[in-house]
Amino acid sequence: MKIAVLSGKGGTGKTTVTSNFAVNIKNSISIDSDVEEPNLHIFMDMKKPAFKPVYTLYPSIDENLCNLCGRCGEFCNYHAIIPAKNQVIVFSESCHDCGGCKLVCPNGAITYKKREIGQIFSGRSKYDTELHYGLLNIGEMSGVKIIDQLKQSTDSDENIIFIDSPPGTSCATVAAVEDADYAVIVSEPTPFGVSDMKMVVEMLRQMKIPFGLIINKAGLGDEEIYHYCRDENIEILGEIPFDKRIAELYAHGKIFSISLPEYKNLFTDIYKNIIEERRSL
Amino acid sequence: MRISICSKKAGLDSLVDERFGRSENFTIIDLDTDIVETIENTAKNDPSGAGGEAVRLLSKYKVDVAVVPHLGPKAEKAMEAFEIKTISQGDYKIVGEILEAYKAGKLKEIVKIKGLTRL
Repeated sequence: MKIAVLSGKGGTGKTTVTSNFAVNIKNSISIDSDVEEPNLHIFMDMKKPAFKPVYTLYPSIDENLCNLCGRCGEFCNYHAIIPAKNQVIVFSESCHDCGGCKLVCPNGAITYKKREIGQIFSGRSKYDTELHYGLLNIGEMSGVKIIDQLKQSTDSDENIIFIDSPPGTSCATVAAVEDADYAVIVSEPTPFGVSDMKMVVEMLRQMKIPFGLIINKAGLGDEEIYHYCRDENIEILGEIPFDKRIAELYAHGKIFSISLPEYKNLFTDIYKNIIEERRSL
Repeated sequence: MRISICSKKAGLDSLVDERFGRSENFTIIDLDTDIVETIENTAKNDPSGAGGEAVRLLSKYKVDVAVVPHLGPKAEKAMEAFEIKTISQGDYKIVGEILEAYKAGKLKEIVKIKGLTRL
């Protein structure tokens, strides 16, 4: 079963939630798909990860075959390929590797070249759990390809897989959650938290992925989030209180439910709620 | 000889736009006939590569010289490929002022230093 952890706004506690799930739920595998800024491995204390490069393709033009007809440029939505006066210019970093320009080229002038856009790291944490994360090279526009390959690196059906997703509702977030069986939204009970959460709710409803909510930093902010959940019929799976000690442990790269035993059952309880929610669907 | 100027609205009285690829419009002046036309920048809302696409648009309208605020690396590469000369619009605020300054030879050509564009 794949459970995606996501939030509308950055810094609401996705990694906190994912890391606490990873150490409290037996036989779970965790994936950090926030490839622009992965940080789960810091909390999980990953030892000597194995890494493999991720490639993307971009067009290369045979000038002897190209007659500058311009069809490739008309086709490309991202303006990655532009036929100019005497040559076709290619902006390889804008290319989404869809393969369309080759299909529309009537002269067979387009082939593809390989380019490394990032890496995937795989290994085991200090807590003896399996962990994978991706890292997008600086200057690259899209990490979707890394996220897709990241999810392929663990295709076991027996394990519970927690996917720490990128914030917001971008292409990268969609790629991270698209085949999830359940989604957990993490939000803080503040006006900003609720406002950004609404976009995620809309996205998940469109994608037809069932979801529930974990309120982080509960006690902060106002009551709006509770009213919103009641009106929208959103299940609150659990709450993590606004506790200074949690923030301190986070700042030290520690998983708080290990150091603070009173929170030991919080994540197993939330997990039980998820399983029940799934069953009632 | 056709010259383009990034402009917020149409005509010579318009304010200039401070962005090239996402400029609202381009006002194009044909110096041989003195005909002024303003075209909408259809690339301005594109998710990526607006600079390169805007250059393609200028080329379609047979622009020889583009007066620009600043150029991104993609737009710069495209200007070269489409053989359009680029000139800095400096601190001028009105399209008509830029045209007069250009005619008087007061505008500077953009100088490229190691891939960076300096105005």
